[in-house]
Formats: sequence, C-alpha cells, structure tokens
Amino acid sequence: MRRVAIIGTGQTKHAKSHDDMNQAELVRQAATRALADAGITYRDVDAIVLSNMELFEGRALPEMWVGEGASGYLKPVMKIATGGTSGTSACIAGLHQCASGLFDTVLVVGWEKHSEGATQTGMALTDPLWDRNIASGAVGNFALSISQYMAERGVTPEQAAKVAVKARRNAAKNPHAHLQMPDITVDRVLSSRMLADPVHLLDMCPQSDGACALVYAAEDRAESLCARPAWVRATVTRHDQPYIGDLDRRLLTMRTLRDAARKAYQQVGITDPLNQIDVAEIYEPVSYAELAWYEALGLCAEGEAGKLIDDGSTEMNGVLPVNPSGGVLSTNPVGASGVIRVAEAAMQIMVRAGAHQVANVRTALATGYGVYAWSDVIILSADK
Amino acid sequence: MTELLRISHTMNMDWRYGTSWYFAKFIRALQDKRLILGLRCPVCRRVYLPPRPVCGNCYAEMREWVEVKDIGTVLAATVVHVPIIDPLTGQPRPAPYGMALIQLDGADTTINFYLAENDAAKLHIGMRVRAVWREQRTGTLSDIVHFKEVSS
Repeated sequence: MRRVAIIGTGQTKHAKSHDDMNQAELVRQAATRALADAGITYRDVDAIVLSNMELFEGRALPEMWVGEGASGYLKPVMKIATGGTSGTSACIAGLHQCASGLFDTVLVVGWEKHSEGATQTGMALTDPLWDRNIASGAVGNFALSISQYMAERGVTPEQAAKVAVKARRNAAKNPHAHLQMPDITVDRVLSSRMLADPVHLLDMCPQSDGACALVYAAEDRAESLCARPAWVRATVTRHDQPYIGDLDRRLLTMRTLRDAARKAYQQVGITDPLNQIDVAEIYEPVSYAELAWYEALGLCAEGEAGKLIDDGSTEMNGVLPVNPSGGVLSTNPVGASGVIRVAEAAMQIMVRAGAHQVANVRTALATGYGVYAWSDVIILSADK
Repeated sequence: MTELLRISHTMNMDWRYGTSWYFAKFIRALQDKRLILGLRCPVCRRVYLPPRPVCGNCYAEMREWVEVKDIGTVLAATVVHVPIIDPLTGQPRPAPYGMALIQLDGADTTINFYLAENDAAKLHIGMRVRAVWREQRTGTLSDIVHFKEVSS
C-alpha cells in the first residue's frame, strides 16, 4: 500500500435550492474548484469515484450523466451509494484506488439535490414488506433512539440545543454552509417547532443542494504538488444488522462507531482521543447524536457527553473543536455530506479553512453515519 | 436573463416484491391466525423479528420458528408531529401519532410500531402494550393497526 494524501478540495455553496445549476453543473463546479485547489487540471485525473443517493432525485444512472461534469470522459468512473455514509464510503474507495497503485491521482465527488425530490419518501422506500408499513421518517426513528438515550444517560434538551447552537455559529464563519443563523440561541432551538418528541426543528439537519470534491495523490506526487498535504492514516468501516430493532439501545451503544474508532485509533497510536485529535468533523444528523457520538468516539466516559458540551470542550476554542464547518446540522446534501466531512478535515490540516480554521491542526478525525447505524471513521494527519 | 424553470413529474409505478418463504410464512400466520412468528438463531438463541434467513451476529441459518406474543414492553417512545408521506399511499400520514420500540414477549429484538396514544405525557418507557388487530386482515404488517396500553 502506498501513502496517499488529499491535496485539494472544492465545494459549491450549499443551499436549500440550487435552481441555477443541475446535478452535473453542481458536480462540475465542486470538481473544478478541487482541481484548482490542488493545482492540477482534469487531464491529470486518472480515475473518478462518485457518491449520490439517486432515489432522492428519482433520476436513474446519474453517473452516466454527471460523470462528464467530473471530467470522466474516457476515464474509469464508478458510483457509491450507501445512504448517509455514501460520501465517506466513496472517499475510502478512492483511497483504495490510489493506495493500491492502480492510479496516481483520483478525484472523489459527492452531491445531492434534495430540492428536486421527496427525501422523506425516498428514505421510506426501504424494505417494502416491513418498513413501509410502519414509516415515521428519519426524525421519528431518531426520536425513538433519543428517548432511550435521554432516559439512560440523563442528557437534557438544553445540552442538545447547545450542540445545535455551536453548529450554526460555526457555520456562520463557513461561506459554503447552507444554514446561516449567526444569532441562534438555545432558547430559539427549544422554542422551534416540535418534530417528534424531544426533537425540535432546529435540532435536525436541513436538506440541501450541493456538491463537494477532493483530490487524492500518492506518495511523491502528493509531496511535489502540495506543501502541506493531508495524509490518510486510517480508514475503518463497520456495518450492522438491518432493522432498527435489531440493535439493543442503538444510539447508546453505537457499536459500529465505537468499534471503528477503536480500530482506527489503534492503527494511528491514539490512546487519548480528546487530547490527541486536534479537530473533528463528525456526521451528526441530529443534535442529540453528536452527544452520543462523543461517547462512542471515546472523547468522554459514558454518561459524560453533556458535560463536554457544557464546559465548551468541543467549541472552536475548546480542547477538541467538533465541526468547525457547522457540520451536517448546517449542511446536508446526503451524497456530499460524507465527502464534506473528509474535505473539511483535510482543509484544517492544509490550513485552508479560512475563517473557521482551527490553530495548529496535525491530526483530524472524520466520520460517516448512515442507515440504521453504519459507520465510517477516517483519520488524517499532517505527518506522512 | 432567461427565467429559471422547474418541470414537475408525477409517477405512478407498480412493483411486485417477492416475499421469500420466510416472510410468506410470517404473513400467512399473521393474516390467518393473528399469530406473530419469530425465528430463533441456533447459535446465540436470539429470537428475531422481522423474520430473515440468517442471524447477522452469528451468520447462522435460522429454521426454528417461535410464537411471539402480541403483547410487549415499550423500550422507547415518541410522538411524531410532522406529517411524513406514507409510502403505502403517497399521502401525508395525519399527525400527531405515537411511535414506540416494542419488545414483544418472547422476542429478543424490538419492532418499531404505531401507538394508539399520541399524547407524549402519557407515554413512558416500560409501559405494557398489546396489538390491536384489524377485523378484515389482508396479509400485510398493517393487519396490526397499532399497539394500545394494557390497562392493569
């Protein structure tokens, strides 16, 4: 396996609705920006990995159409679709193509255009014999798990609201972020419409239109093209059983994320993640999930997640800033969301994050979350 | 500058899903006998709902059918206030409605299902609930209308 680094990233402005660009144009804009950031042209790209959940737009074979937007003409192109983890899965697939020696430069692009379809309906079109008869949308399923999490761990709606506030305040410094709410407060979150007890509207992620791309290069090529590349040091994926009720206390145990994080930490030599990781971009579709993920990622002991948000440890000036970009809570084009996590983590190492840059980042964590608790964990480093 | 457009499509599509004999057996028992059947893993002994051929934990084939009660314990509960599109009808499902993760007596997994109660203040973890069956059953999971608190 060769060492591989991210040498460039690019994003569209994420928004509720991009009437000005179709899917291929969103992909082209993100890809073009990533290539410019990497200082290369489309001719330098050897292979392309795409990420999208086509059920949300109702357009089959999008890779055939948007591949061209990613410079795929006469090149190997493939598409990955694994729900919320699609983007991180595509990043891992692209890494494999580059690390294996098959290709020297690989472009990964994820996108989604939720404004074109019915996202909640798309999510309900899973098992036709079981899930469709008892559909309550993503928010209903999250709310069920959260009711267990609150009962056992004692986290409060105020602590969850603090996560939502942190995300949107960070997003206000990120020009690509969809939701721009610099004046958000805990009171505003708690007084927003109740979607499913105890989840308020502002506890949930939005549905966005947008695309994100990143460029991988191997070994010497990465070093010659980039002064400070973001080296991929570990990637671990874990899947779990298929139905919501198969997992005992799903949000509490999150055995996929727990297991993937332990394995990744072991590969890199991390024993104290809160202090050894400099920044994290985690896939938190709902405020409460970020608290649960703190525990699963080993950032605190079980039951201590509320304390971590109360004492500001994960704020921009805390010991481990979590989601300086504003996270999924501020921007969620599903096929792109995982790519955004990895790209934002890479930007922090490359010192290209602008107004939401964290100082002195050498080690960055990115995660993906999808379906009923699948997880990806990716660790990037300034050190080869 | 040319005005931007949105072109609307509405599609009616027909699908025909095979059940495999696992789900066919489950759904026949539900429709004909008001019986809920789970499958027990020969290795870890967990009893699964919904039925499927393999225990994910042990990767063992399951063949032992087990009768599960239509009464169980609520392990998680919520009231949904937003009208989600019902995938069976294409229409919004009227809100609010209660949802729970229910562990049926005799099963080791939980199922998520609708509750008769839609007042969050009246829902609590640990409450006992029983299935309310449709008089005219058609051979789908919706032959159970919802679960209702068992009065003690």
